[in-house]
Amino acid sequence: MLYFSKWKTITILGLVALGFLFALPNAIPKKKLETWPPSLQRTINLGLDLQGGAHMLLEVDLTSVLEQETENLRDSVRGALQEAGRIRTEYLRVEDGAVVGKFRNADEVNAGYAALDNVPEQIDPRQLAGPKDSRIERVGTDRFSVTITDEKLEAVKERTIDQSIEVLGRRIDPNGTTELTLVKEGKDRILLQVPGAKNIDEIKARINKTANLSFHLVDPDSFNAGAMRLASEGRMKPSQAFYLNADGGGGLIVERRTKITGECLKSASEGLHPERQNDPIVNFGFNLRCTRLFSELTVRNMGQQFAVVLDEEIITAPRINNPITGGNGFIEGGFTLQSAQELALLLNAGSLPAKLKIVEERTVSAELGEDSINAGKIASIIGLVGVAIFMWLSYGLRFGTIANMALTINIMLIMAALSLFGSTLTLPGIAGIILTIGMAVDANVLIFERIREEAHNGRPPVNAIETGYRLSLAPILDANITTFIAAVVLYLVGSGPIRGFAVTLAIGIVMSVFTAVIVARLFTATWLRSRRPKALPI
Amino acid sequence: MKDISLVKLLPMEPKIPFISARMIAGVLSVILIVASMVLFATKNLNYGIDFTGGVVAEMDFKEQPPLDIRAAVADLGFEGATVQNIDPPKSSDVKYQYVRVGLKLQADDASSGSDDTVDSDAAINPQQAALIRLTDGLREEYGDQVERRSQETVSGKVSGELRQKGLLAILSALVMIMIYIAFRFEWQFAVGAVAALVHDVLLTIGVFSLTGIEFNLSIIAAILTIVGYSLNDTVIVYDRIRENLRKYKKMPMPDVLNLSINDTLSRTIMTSVTTLLALIALYILGGDGLRGFSFAMIWGVIVGTYSSIFVASPMLLLLKLKRGGNTGGERKED
Repeated sequence: MLYFSKWKTITILGLVALGFLFALPNAIPKKKLETWPPSLQRTINLGLDLQGGAHMLLEVDLTSVLEQETENLRDSVRGALQEAGRIRTEYLRVEDGAVVGKFRNADEVNAGYAALDNVPEQIDPRQLAGPKDSRIERVGTDRFSVTITDEKLEAVKERTIDQSIEVLGRRIDPNGTTELTLVKEGKDRILLQVPGAKNIDEIKARINKTANLSFHLVDPDSFNAGAMRLASEGRMKPSQAFYLNADGGGGLIVERRTKITGECLKSASEGLHPERQNDPIVNFGFNLRCTRLFSELTVRNMGQQFAVVLDEEIITAPRINNPITGGNGFIEGGFTLQSAQELALLLNAGSLPAKLKIVEERTVSAELGEDSINAGKIASIIGLVGVAIFMWLSYGLRFGTIANMALTINIMLIMAALSLFGSTLTLPGIAGIILTIGMAVDANVLIFERIREEAHNGRPPVNAIETGYRLSLAPILDANITTFIAAVVLYLVGSGPIRGFAVTLAIGIVMSVFTAVIVARLFTATWLRSRRPKALPI
Repeated sequence: MKDISLVKLLPMEPKIPFISARMIAGVLSVILIVASMVLFATKNLNYGIDFTGGVVAEMDFKEQPPLDIRAAVADLGFEGATVQNIDPPKSSDVKYQYVRVGLKLQADDASSGSDDTVDSDAAINPQQAALIRLTDGLREEYGDQVERRSQETVSGKVSGELRQKGLLAILSALVMIMIYIAFRFEWQFAVGAVAALVHDVLLTIGVFSLTGIEFNLSIIAAILTIVGYSLNDTVIVYDRIRENLRKYKKMPMPDVLNLSINDTLSRTIMTSVTTLLALIALYILGGDGLRGFSFAMIWGVIVGTYSSIFVASPMLLLLKLKRGGNTGGERKED
């Protein structure tokens, strides 16, 4: 127990030295640190609650995406039946996430079922050989039910969340300068963390807008008072859609189908109206495909109006006076410079595939974070000094010093581990470190008490120390492994700051066992060898 | 070389009759547990918004806040809200106080059916809506200079999950610890240790109910740490019991238990003192954010130390621990 071979001693001291090296950057001012080699620049990552910033948990509204997906499936079914010789159905509707229908004529049933097998697969460009999209079931003799397969549902969900994350990243951090955290959390949530964020309401506005842009031809029914009245109550032809004006004055009936959507945009930027210099506008440029489509559309519909619809509201509905063939244009619609800028940013970032809901939000100001750090530092130092004095008083200069050296190395190693693993130090994490200061001496106390006891029972010094260390090992391991279990559970079920606490606690446990059982033992052994005391000063 | 050790806290072989006092301690523990549960049932806990859902916002009035804010907040329809003046962070140069408005709001996303918002793309939950209403309302009343400094909102759904997760964390930690101890010792030890832990958890809940200190996520962390700490203590005593059972084969069981508690007493006290030193420093100097947490921990250290002496060890007698079972074959007798 007290013999250390040369290589063992070197390994232990080497580990401690490495710990010192990795803990050191945290004590160096940032300016000076920049001149160091990059591998040594790692410092402890401060959590949002310590550096200030915004933390949001966003729920992705997958239900509406899946509903849309089912509606698309219904359209495909309808299309397939049409194509197979106008097979008629008594009904064809969406029920409980499935498309159900009933054939009208008994002699068309077989042809109908055959047609259903040809429902076109929606091709996902990301999945070349994807699983089959839909499953067809015959119900009774003339009814059927078509459902989207689970694999397809999963794929859709995953794609929706991935896309949302991409779009959010571009919206909130268009220049890529902030250290955003944007990750999927659980089944349908996204965790967003913006360090140092001040403009929380601006960020929220960017999250809340889906920014779905589309260009629709205005239906002539818009100028028919009767049709407009019905449309505002939601009654119109299936090929039509009714949208309200964004400025609140009435609405228009438009053609539901359009090929010119937000995906057409190559770029958007804010600008000023070419003639009325005081009116801010949003300039846009279409990609090649849509340039052609839009040019065809404008050529064919000269003199008609088209509506620019953003998130189901009409921003503007200009008349087509000349064919637009260059693929560039602008949207005007009572913008301020700021709202034009904001819309250009949203359009450039792309539209969100689903609505996002903020289900949890926490913001901390940078000053409050700084306060917490300072309070934590003071509490740690006072705690450390108090414990150190108490250990000296209890175990005397010699053993007290050994315990306190172990304690100091322990704290240092925790800092080094936190810097090295890049784990995040949170406010509860600071509490974890301070708690470790108190509990870390436990292992040394156990050992020293045991040594004291063995010496009291008449063992000579070396033997007492040897026995003390040997007999303390099992209880130390048992006690720390059980606490370690608690820390692991805390990590697994906890979230955010609690996880930070669990990590520091777990690291603290490992380091305190290492320092008390190995480092302090090395010190004790070295002291024993050099002094060979006749009686133990404990 | 002369060395000093000023304090020998206890005589080398203390002989305090802990086990004889087990009846009194048992009665005391039962009374405290019953009282805790009665408190919990009648007064419940002062849950934070982590567990109830709701909004906490800190408002900056750019001057010492007006006195009638409480009424103004109630006028906005937030009758149950808590309103308090708080000091601004020390590192900012703000010389006036902020106002913290807290509002519990369990309601969840019920708005989907009756969508009365014109803004069709804002899928906003009731908590976010309340936050906006509060800010706008206060601005209308006191002017546009009113600003929100920081905010927390937790939706009803998330708070429900956090509640569940918290409970799950405590229960699964207890079960895993029980398994580990049953594996290392005998089943009686595992049951005794968990009994002591449940005792600690219940008393902690009791004291939080009594004092009305906010019970939030970080308190769950504190309780789990208490579990870890109390267990630490218990395992140390148990380990010594196991050792003494092998050493003193003829000694009656109560005496072995008592001897083991006394053997480890100085260590128990030493560690409690050092841990308390650190925690008291944290309680006094650690700032608002950690006060509830450090209070729970201080209480936990005291209760945990008590329970490992007066609950965990006597439980072994109650469970009729026998000698000669699996008392740890992996360690050699010296």
